[in-house]
Amino acid sequence: MAPKLPPTTAAMLSRRSCSLASSTSGSFSPSLPHRGQHQQVRHATFVPRHRRPYQFTQLVQLSDGSTFTVRTTSPQALYRSAKDSRNHILWQPSDKSLRNVEVDEAGKLAAFRERFGRGWDMAEGPAAAAAASDAAAGAAAEEPAKDGKKNKVVDGKAPEGKKGAQAQAQAASPAAAPAAPAAEEKVVDPFDSLVDLISGYATEDKNIKGGLSAKDQARKDKAKKK
Amino acid sequence: MASLRGLSRPTHGLPLSQLCHQTYSVSSRRCASSQAAAAAAPAVKDLADLETSTLDRPPLNAEEKKEFRPWKRQVDRKFHLPSGRYSYHPPKYYRGPLHPVQSPPSSDPTARDFVPGPFNLPRLRQTYLSTNASDIMTLAYHHVPPGTPDTQPSQRLREWDGSSPYHKNRPLRAPRGAPVLPLKERDINFVNIPEIKEVTIASYVPAALKEPDHLLVCRNVILALTGTLPSITKTRSDVAQWHIRSGQPAGVKTTIHGNAAYEFLDRCINFVFPRIKDWRGIQASTGDSSGNLSFGLGPEEMKFFPEVEANYQMYAPKMIPGCRIFVKTTATSDRQARLLLQTMGVPFYGEIRN
Repeated sequence: MAPKLPPTTAAMLSRRSCSLASSTSGSFSPSLPHRGQHQQVRHATFVPRHRRPYQFTQLVQLSDGSTFTVRTTSPQALYRSAKDSRNHILWQPSDKSLRNVEVDEAGKLAAFRERFGRGWDMAEGPAAAAAASDAAAGAAAEEPAKDGKKNKVVDGKAPEGKKGAQAQAQAASPAAAPAAPAAEEKVVDPFDSLVDLISGYATEDKNIKGGLSAKDQARKDKAKKK
Repeated sequence: MASLRGLSRPTHGLPLSQLCHQTYSVSSRRCASSQAAAAAAPAVKDLADLETSTLDRPPLNAEEKKEFRPWKRQVDRKFHLPSGRYSYHPPKYYRGPLHPVQSPPSSDPTARDFVPGPFNLPRLRQTYLSTNASDIMTLAYHHVPPGTPDTQPSQRLREWDGSSPYHKNRPLRAPRGAPVLPLKERDINFVNIPEIKEVTIASYVPAALKEPDHLLVCRNVILALTGTLPSITKTRSDVAQWHIRSGQPAGVKTTIHGNAAYEFLDRCINFVFPRIKDWRGIQASTGDSSGNLSFGLGPEEMKFFPEVEANYQMYAPKMIPGCRIFVKTTATSDRQARLLLQTMGVPFYGEIRN
């Protein structure tokens, strides 16, 4: 904190020691507006009028109901905030209602996991998800094999039966993730996660507009190879 | 206030306190303030010569109210009041301290560079003054027994070894590896508590080289955020690959001080940061090692500011720029500046540099 010097006698004698230094009114002075470019001649300095927008006094209400006034360019008299630091987990880490807890009263999520494994969960790491999906694939191996590729890779280590698959899926946690062998990573496809699948469906394809059709793309690829 | 609005037009000019008194004493509704004033009036009587209160003035009766018609007076007036050309206008130019015509100081409402205010004490500043400043001072207290000799060398510039006769009267050299002397951290004590000095907001819009409208939108956004008219910045270098030549207008910057800076930070901390998706905090490696921290906001994060949000339709969404925000503090090291911002509620994450 720079020590605030009392106004010097020279500054007191000449009421305006320098017209450009008008910030002598202390730290509570409103901000210095931008001085426009003006012609400076030797004997006279232009004293510009400030160009600043009208500032309203606005009443702000935070999400916890507390209010205070601010000076703002926004013409709204009252600003109610829906999301602010009073209902954000980063600022209120002890507030339990802000935590992202899974609500599964009907047991539907648990039923889904029992049937399809935990491979769809977003929170797990990609490796863990891969391991879990392998387990689910292992469970599927009991049924008549439809896609041979997947089963071939997994065959070596997949435990038989649905219960075994479940057990492995439950064991697949972030702690066990680093142990996943490289062979498993081949199986991972981009739409492994259900969330990715849904979001990929919802987002617009950037290439649709200016891109090539599949036929043209194939033609282009061929031309490139040559 | 509803009953006040229903009154006839001439009564609008009456002082508010009298109106309240009159309305509420006639009606059956209880008004705590007027009753309290009535109750307190006898106790205050012996202090009447010290101060005058409008609360113990008797209310106007019906005739007095009828008499009070300022609009009628204005209509009936035969002469006109002097217009603005007879009022004092300060000189347009400052012609030096010895000139006989001097402009009034900027605190004078007639001055050309007068800015009214302050109109409120910003919440963040109030918190800082009442709580944060003393907390910082107490938490960062480092006891040094009086009389302890200073171990730090007072002279940090290198001296010439004197091997050449030309070394005589040469200025001292800067420290090895640094062209300038870095700032030395000062301990926090009661005169040296870090505080916010100013906030600079800068925005670089290279798209403005092709389409000047970008610059206009950018200027309006920053103007709405800060309440000051920003200045246009120009490119400094010639890079053919980026299609820039030096001297072209391609950005905007402004600096806000004092209350405005505190309010801007308050808005950033309480409204903007919580609305950014998956935001973890400001990178802790920021800082210029002399107590000035900076962070950036992307174009899609600018709409979280209440001022931009208020008339978001006014701007073309693709033209809204991002900005870089430099918080300058009076702290002498990044450590202390981070401490200051953390007490104000700015989270930091990641590796700490210095």
